[in-house]
Amino acid sequence: MTIRWLIISLTLANFNNLDAHPLRLSLCEIEYTSSTKLISIHLKLFLTDVNEALLFNPKSDELAFCQPNEPIKANELLLNYINRFFYIKANGKRISLKIKRKRLSGDGENTALWVYFELSQPVILESLEIKNNIFTDLFFDQNNIVYIHLDDESKSIMLNKKTAIHKLEF
Amino acid sequence: MKQQFQLVFVLCFFLLNSCKENRTSKNSKLETEEELIERALKIHKKVLTLDTHADTPIRMIEPGFDMSKRHDPNETGSKVDYPRMKEGDLDAIFFAAFVAQDIRNDKGNSRAKSLCIQMIDSILVSIERNSDNVGLAINPQDAYSLEKEGKRAIYIGIENGYPIGEDLSNVETYFNKGVRYITLVHSSNNDLADSSTDPKGSEHGGISKFGSKVVSEMNRLGIMVDVSHGSDSVFYDAIKLSKAPIIATHSNARAVTNHKRNMTDEMLRLMASNGGVVQLTMLANYLREVPPNIELDSAIAAHRFKMKDIDKMTDEEKVFLRKEFQEINEKYPTPQATVKHVVDHIDHIIKIAGINHVGIGCDFDGGGGIEGVFDASEVMNITIELVRRGYNEEQIAKIWGGNLIRVFKEVQAISERIKSDSSA
Repeated sequence: MTIRWLIISLTLANFNNLDAHPLRLSLCEIEYTSSTKLISIHLKLFLTDVNEALLFNPKSDELAFCQPNEPIKANELLLNYINRFFYIKANGKRISLKIKRKRLSGDGENTALWVYFELSQPVILESLEIKNNIFTDLFFDQNNIVYIHLDDESKSIMLNKKTAIHKLEF
Repeated sequence: MKQQFQLVFVLCFFLLNSCKENRTSKNSKLETEEELIERALKIHKKVLTLDTHADTPIRMIEPGFDMSKRHDPNETGSKVDYPRMKEGDLDAIFFAAFVAQDIRNDKGNSRAKSLCIQMIDSILVSIERNSDNVGLAINPQDAYSLEKEGKRAIYIGIENGYPIGEDLSNVETYFNKGVRYITLVHSSNNDLADSSTDPKGSEHGGISKFGSKVVSEMNRLGIMVDVSHGSDSVFYDAIKLSKAPIIATHSNARAVTNHKRNMTDEMLRLMASNGGVVQLTMLANYLREVPPNIELDSAIAAHRFKMKDIDKMTDEEKVFLRKEFQEINEKYPTPQATVKHVVDHIDHIIKIAGINHVGIGCDFDGGGGIEGVFDASEVMNITIELVRRGYNEEQIAKIWGGNLIRVFKEVQAISERIKSDSSA
C-alpha cells in the first residue's frame, strides 16, 4: 500500500496538465524530388503531446526518445500511433511508413520530437492524399499544418479533426 | 500655523476622497449591472475596435474552410470568422501570415517566401469573396471609412521575418501585397533577430546586421516594426534602430505574469517614451500562472496507477481509456484565465506606461482565447470589464484601436519624410 502511494506521489510530482504549451499545433513537411525519386516526410510533434498520446502522461520519460536508453518498443508504439492518425497515399496507394530517424529540438514545454520517413517513389507523382488528424484524440482544437514541396513548388494546407484528409492532384 | 496647515490638509483629503467616491458611486452604486453592460456595449459599438493579431490565415488554408460561415469554436477550435467579428462588434483585425521557421538557406528562404505569399493571397481571396462584408485596409484611416460603410477592415501582417530570407527587396514585395507590420522573429532565431524562446539562446545579440537593414527598409516603406516574440535585446535594439515608434502586437506585462514573452516595466516605460504601443494578448499562460489543481492531479495519478501495461492494450482499450481521462479532466477543471486577468495587465501597463501605450491583440487561432473572450464574438466582454473598472469612453477608444492607429499614422508620416529626404 505504501509503495502504491509512493508511486502515485512520484507521478503527481511529475504531472503537468495539458495546458503545458499553448499551441495545439503540429507541423508536417512532405517533399518530393523528381530527380531523386524520393518522398521524404518530416513530422514535428510536441514531445509532451507524444507522451500523452502514447502513455497517457505528458511528462513521462519512459520512452526516452533519442536517448541512449530508448527502449525498443518506443518506435513501435510511436509508429502504431502515427499509423492510426496519419497516412500518405501516392498515386492512390498508401505508403508503408518506416521511421528513418528521429531527433529532439527545443527545450522545456516546447521540446519537439522530429520523426523522419523516406520512401522511394519511382513512378511520377500524379496525386498525393494526406490524412493528418494526429492528436485530435487529445485536443478537439488540434491543428496540423502540412507543407508540401514538389520540386520547386511549395503549398501549405491545414488539417484537423473536421478536415482530416485532403487530396492534391498534379 | 502648523495646526491650520493640518486642518487644511485633512479637509483636502476628505474632499478628494468624496470626489472619488462620487465618481465610483455613479458607476457602481447607482448603476445596476444591466445598466453598466448597456453603457459598455454602447461604448463598444461607438469606438473603433481593432485586434492587431490573429493567426486566422492558417484556417484559410484548411480545405473547405469558409470565412463567411459561423463556426462553433467548441467544435472546431476556430476563433474568427466574419459573422463572429460582426457579433462581437470587432471592426478591424490584422490577419497575420505565418510561416514556421525552417532551414535558413536559399532553398528554405525561397520556400518560406512562396508559402508566405500563398497565405497572403488566401487572405486577399477571402476579402474579395466577402467584399459585401469586409474590405482590405492598408492605411490607418481605412479602418474608419470601412466602418462607416458597415464593413470589417482587414489588415495584413507577417508573423516571423523568415520569409524575407536574405533579400531586402522582399520587404517591398510584401508591402505591395498589403503587409503593414512584420513580426521580426517567431519561436526560433532567424536571420533578422533572436527569439525570446529559442533554446539555443542569443545568436545575434538582438537584431542582426541584416535585421537592422530590414528595420530601416520597413521605416522607409511605412511598415510597423513588431517586437513580439523577440528577445529582450531585440526590443532594445528595435527602440534604438527604428526611426518610427514600434509595436508589440501580442505581448503582456511581465510584472503581472512572469513569462519571457511578456514585457518588463523598464520595457513598458521605454515603449512609452518611444511613442509605441503594447497590444494585450489572450494567451492564458501569458495572463496568469496556472493555478495548482490537486484534485485533478490526484485523480489522474490514481487512474494511471490502475492502468494496464500500454504494450498489452488494444487500440479499442486505448480509445476507452482516453475517454476516461477526458471525463476526469472535465470533472476537475482547472480555473481558466479570464477577462479580469486581461484587464489586470491593462491596468498595470497604464500604470507604468500610460493610457496612450496599450492596445489589444488577441492572438485568436494562434492559441489565444480565454473564459469570456473565447472567440471574436465575445470581445465586447473586455469593454464591459474596462467600464466596470471605471475607464471612460475616451480611454477605451484609445485602448481598442486609437493608440495603434496613432502609431500607424506616425509610421506612415516618418516613411513620407524618409522618402522625401532621400529624393531631395
